Formats: sequence, structure tokens, C-alpha cells
Amino acid sequence: MTRYLPLVVGIIVLALWEASVRWLDVPKFVLPPPSLIAEALIANLPQLLAALGETLKLTLLAFVASFLGGLALAILFVRSRLIERSLLPYAVVLQVTPIVAIAPLIVIWVGVDHVERAVFILAMVVAFFPVLSNASFGLRSVDPGLADLFRLYHATGRQRLLLLQLPSALPALLAGAKISAGLALIGSVVAEFVAGSGEATGLAWRIVESGNRLEIPRMFAALVLLSSAGLALNWLISVLERRLLRHWHGARSEA
Amino acid sequence: MLILEGVGKAYPGGLEAVSRVDLAIAPGSFTSIVGPSGCGKSTLLRLIAGLDRPSAGRIEGRPENEVGLVFQDPTLMPWADVWSNVYLPLRLAGLPRAAAAPLIDEALALVGLLDFARAHPRALSGGMRMRAAIARAIVTEPALLLMDEPFAALDEITRNKLNDDLLRLWRKRGFTAIFVTHSVFESVYLSTEIAIMTPRPGRIHSRHRIDGPAVRNREFRTSRLYLDACRAVSSDLEQAMAESAR
Repeated sequence: MTRYLPLVVGIIVLALWEASVRWLDVPKFVLPPPSLIAEALIANLPQLLAALGETLKLTLLAFVASFLGGLALAILFVRSRLIERSLLPYAVVLQVTPIVAIAPLIVIWVGVDHVERAVFILAMVVAFFPVLSNASFGLRSVDPGLADLFRLYHATGRQRLLLLQLPSALPALLAGAKISAGLALIGSVVAEFVAGSGEATGLAWRIVESGNRLEIPRMFAALVLLSSAGLALNWLISVLERRLLRHWHGARSEA
Repeated sequence: MLILEGVGKAYPGGLEAVSRVDLAIAPGSFTSIVGPSGCGKSTLLRLIAGLDRPSAGRIEGRPENEVGLVFQDPTLMPWADVWSNVYLPLRLAGLPRAAAAPLIDEALALVGLLDFARAHPRALSGGMRMRAAIARAIVTEPALLLMDEPFAALDEITRNKLNDDLLRLWRKRGFTAIFVTHSVFESVYLSTEIAIMTPRPGRIHSRHRIDGPAVRNREFRTSRLYLDACRAVSSDLEQAMAESAR
């Protein structure tokens, strides 16, 4: 029963929203009622979906690139303290610098004629760190007994990586992927915002555009699609997580 | 013959886990190392396994690449089924699946897990997980099997059953067994030799030969020989504790 609770809350909030906007006569360019947003969503669906496709394509590309890059760097870190010592501070610098602040620079460097490159790079920059830190943690969280066993049987570094460290890292890696997918979407949106007019064709640009034209219902419609895309990404990785980790749960907590 | 000569292990920081251990272990024997918790039994086993280097003395006659190890925890890979867990040592040695399969099936049959080859550790009871760990340790047909309190976490009925199964396995395979335990009864039931250790830093306090019958069973558990041996080992263990307290 409790699994439908969020749905019930959502319906109640939407109903209250619709009712209060109508009763209080709120102008639709300030806060449109949900019914109007739904209308705008349906009316603009082809255009908005095309824009969503554009944003999602770059988000997914950036996510995959940051996942593979973050994992590769984490493997290097675990293999060599020296590399970790020399590179980790820069990864942290990249992580703590707000993406909004780097965005204009990246847009000027690579995005003037090719916005999608700026979007890709910025999405990757923000999505990279969670994978890196979760993967490094995961690769190190190997059962010491199993590590002993691999040593007893003279396992090679490659065997240890493929048969022990990577499988051990899987839960942490998937947790990192979930965070990173959400951040990749944020990175894409920020990049589109900053890139601004003209070249940008993604969903975030549609939001800016609608705002400029005071087409608030369309703005909300774009927002709804954006959140749905984020939710879908999150759900997809959760499903993957459940499938991949179905044998794990309970195996560690018991003696 | 596995020979330990003046073996000691001190950790950086001065903690001395074991000290001046002399021990000769005959091939095919079943030796239990008995002592209180924290006496360095596990450290000694790790030294024999070659997982740690002794800081003093030397260990000779270890059958390189022919050592099996069973920990207190089953230490199985949770992401892999029983078959794949048992395959691990052979896989690390580069043996393809097809070539490994008969060895794995034999090991699983010996511990009574053949029907659970495709089960994941999570789905098994504590005793069955330990059986899987034992199958993994014997799948390479090691000359030396090291066990670190493998049954300490199990209930008594399961432990007795596993004791009998272990003895059957030992008679069949003929490996040298070194078994760490803090249970006097378990050590007397299983062993041909018992070495009693003092509290930290662990030293060998005394040794006992158990001249029990070749095949041990419930009858042996209530025999005069068994009870006398338990009494003797217990009294030596108490002495070992007292000596170190002085």
C-alpha cells in the first residue's frame, strides 16, 4: 500500500495547485495550473521531445565517457599510489569548482561553433568525480580473506583486478553511476543555459527560450520532461543494480 | 616433514604475536594447535601458509603451491555460485573450465554439496558455506591443509558432523592437516598430534600424541582414551595459561 503513497501525495498536490490557481486568479505567466501545463506539453510535444532527445543523447554520451574514464583512472589509482597522489588533487579541484563557473570558459573555448562539444565536456566534468571516488573506494573494499586467498594461489595483478577487485567494487560502482547519471544531466542543462542562443537545441534551451517569451506553461512542460528524464535514468540504473547485485544482499551481513 | 625452527613474529610497534616456536609436523599427520584466544594461533597459521614472513626463525618443507587454506569465515565470493567459488584456485592456476570440472565435482561430492553447485553463498546455511570453503581448499589436491578455527561459528551438531566429514576427507586424501582451534574436545577428537600454545606471545607449551583408532566416531567420543586425553590436554592448557600469567 505504502508504495502508492507518493502517487497519492502527488495527485493531492496537483489538485490543490489547480484549485488555488483558479480561485486566486493567479496570472498564467506567473503560475499556470497543471491542466494548462499538460495542454502545453501535448501541443509542443514533437518539438520538446526532439529537444529532449538532443539533451539526453549528450547526457548519455557524457555519462558513459565519465563512467569509463572514472573507472579507468580509479584502476590506475589503486595500482599506483604515486599516480593517485599526483592526480587526485586536480580531480578534487575539478569537483569543487562550481560547474556554472567553468561553463562560460568551456563554451568560449569549444562551444562557439559546436555547442554540443561544450555540453558534452561540461556534463562529463561533473559526472566524472562520483565514479572516480566510488570506484576507488570499491576497488579497495576487497574482503581481506579473499585477498589472502588470491595471494596464496599466486594470482596475477590482472586476475586480481578482474576476478576480485572489479566484482567487489560493483556495489560502490553502481552507486557512483547513479549519482553520476543525475549529475551528467545537470551538466548538460547548465552548459545549454550558458551557451544560450542560437546553436543550442536541447531541452534546457527551450526552458530559457520559453522564459524569455513568458510562455510559462511551455516552460513548465519542458521542466516536466527534464525531471522525467532524470527519473528514468535513475530508475534504469536502479533496475540494473537490483539485477546485478541480487546475489549479494545478505551474504555479507551474516557470519 | 614440515619444520618450524625458532619461528617468531613481531609486528612493527613491538607487538610480539608468536615467539620461538619449534614444531615438526609429519606428512599425513593431523595436528591441532590449541590455545586461548589471541595467543597467535592464527598468526602461526599465516606464517605456515606463507601469507606472512616470520621475523625470526625459519620454516622448512612447506609444499609450495600445494597448500589449502580454510578461514574462520567461509570467505566465499558472494557474486559467484558454489561451483565458481570452488573453481577459483584452479582458475587462478590457469586451468580451463572443462579440465577443472571433474576436480570440482569430486571436491563438491566429498563435502556433500554436489546438489548445491549452482547455489549462491547467500542461499546456503553456515555449515554449507563452510563445506564450500573446504571444497575450494581441497580442489587443488593440496599436500597441506591449513584450517583456522573453521567450525568455531557453527552449532555443535553441525560442528560434530563436519568433524566427522573432515576426518573422512583426511583419510581419503591423505593430506597433512594443521587445525587451529580453542576447543580441547575438538582437537582430541580430530588429531593425531596436539600442540598447546601459551597466551601472547604464543609459544609451544607442550605436545600430545593421541593414539586413537584410525576411524573415529561417536564411540570414540565416549571412550576412556578420549576422556583421558581431554583431561590431560585441558590440564596442560591450564598450566600454559598459568605459566604465562606469572
